[in-house]
Amino acid sequence: MELEQILARLLEAATQVLQADAAMVRLLDDRGRELTTAVTVGLPDHDSAVEPVAVDQSALDREVLSGRTVILDEIQEDVRGATLPQDYCSALCVPLNREGEPLGTLYIYATGAQCFSEPHSELLAPLVDLAAEAVAGNRAYAKLKEQEASRGQFIRIATHELRSPIAVAQSLLRNVVKGYAGELNEPQRDIFARINRRLDFMQTLVNDLLDLAAGKSPELGEDEQAVAVNASVGRAVLLVQPRAEEKDIELSLDPCCEELVVQASEEGLDRIFVNLVDNAVKYTPAGGSVRVSLGRKDEEIQVAVSDNGIGIPKEALSHLYEEFYRARNAKKVDAVGTGLGLAIVKDLVDRYNGRIEVESELGQGTTFTVAFPVLREEAPVSGRAVSGRAVSDSSVKTMIAQP
Amino acid sequence: MPKILAIEDDPDMLAALRMPLEAQGYELFTATTGEEGLEKVKEIAPDLIILDVMMETATAGFQVSLELRSPDEDSPYAEYRDTPILMLTAIHTTTSLRFGPDEAYLPVDDFVEKPVDPDELVEKVELLLKQSAVG
Repeated sequence: MELEQILARLLEAATQVLQADAAMVRLLDDRGRELTTAVTVGLPDHDSAVEPVAVDQSALDREVLSGRTVILDEIQEDVRGATLPQDYCSALCVPLNREGEPLGTLYIYATGAQCFSEPHSELLAPLVDLAAEAVAGNRAYAKLKEQEASRGQFIRIATHELRSPIAVAQSLLRNVVKGYAGELNEPQRDIFARINRRLDFMQTLVNDLLDLAAGKSPELGEDEQAVAVNASVGRAVLLVQPRAEEKDIELSLDPCCEELVVQASEEGLDRIFVNLVDNAVKYTPAGGSVRVSLGRKDEEIQVAVSDNGIGIPKEALSHLYEEFYRARNAKKVDAVGTGLGLAIVKDLVDRYNGRIEVESELGQGTTFTVAFPVLREEAPVSGRAVSGRAVSDSSVKTMIAQP
Repeated sequence: MPKILAIEDDPDMLAALRMPLEAQGYELFTATTGEEGLEKVKEIAPDLIILDVMMETATAGFQVSLELRSPDEDSPYAEYRDTPILMLTAIHTTTSLRFGPDEAYLPVDDFVEKPVDPDELVEKVELLLKQSAVG
């Protein structure tokens, strides 16, 4: 429930309990200088009392914010002004604070004179506490979101800055390795090959970090549209195919009979499947097999990526989606993986309201299953012919036909 | 001997470009800012321009190519409009770049993605020079 709705309900309850006529919650800004009206009950919209109030210009608000409850029996002419609405003779003014920190004010009004007294204030106490909790909770949540976005921003900038020097170093190294800087002897060739591999790893890491940071970025949601799952999985399989062939791994695709569509970013969805299929191929020894199958179960589309590879040790299962985590047997196969692949997958799956499950037996194989809510069953707009990523239905069918 | 102008602000990247290009026999000229680059185009009249997409600002490379290809009749670069431009890019630089060279998006003739492979660089330069000599 939104903060405004919670506060509105609390104010309604408060005015009923006290048999009052109107109420208002004002919230203090970060700098503690201004009170802005958050919610009102029983007040006409145009009432001047709903304007923001500068704290240093209102003695009444300053007193309330310091933690004191103020009861006004007969609202005097001189007390009226920016703070108090017209037509009301009595007011009960209560601070909203949490752990001593002022968050705002809650004012209850009655048209009669001398309507409020101490017992009223006590009656109100539990509702006021709830209101304060709601406001504090909302602030903490907003701050968390801000920090996450800011952290994402930092990673984005830092890794972006790293890109350039790495690319330049690689460009120079390629010249050396290809002989443009003179003949190389054996030890030199060996050293440069090692440096090259490390630079390639750094480049992968930077790209993965950028993807991870982008996944946490609030702007990503704008990219979402209806994406066809069969086509997305098809693209991923096509991309990984050459690597599977190199290792003599049988990579097969069993698409869903219906063309199902989910709400996601095309790039993000592709990324999920590429990571999962690539992992399956990476961690399966030569001659093994990887099977990708799609199916519909009620309102979900499920994609299973199954391999007969090295499997995942039990103790690794609870850490699988942690950033930079790599299981010990994974490290033996590929000493220099980034450990970000599954963290990126989990991030994206969560973002698209999906879920991911894994079943694995050490030494036998692993099956990852991701499931997404089906958006609808229409045939989508045919895949964009961009960056050579178009996959027609015929090419998907060809893949099934291959043994 | 064909003249190539490389507009690139990173001296190390320039070194990486120079090696294969000079080995191929091209005469290499350089500029380290977009502004300097545009001046040198007029001064040298190169047969091909290599342009980094990002220099002092994120759009420096774009700006240079837009200037060079300006359809304005009184553009100071009118006579250089047909000089082939090879752009150096980084993946994820901008979405539009992933759509490949396209007059509507960005007036360059081809791209080389960083890190630069010297053989790929030479191949693309040769192709562009051949095409512009014929056309």
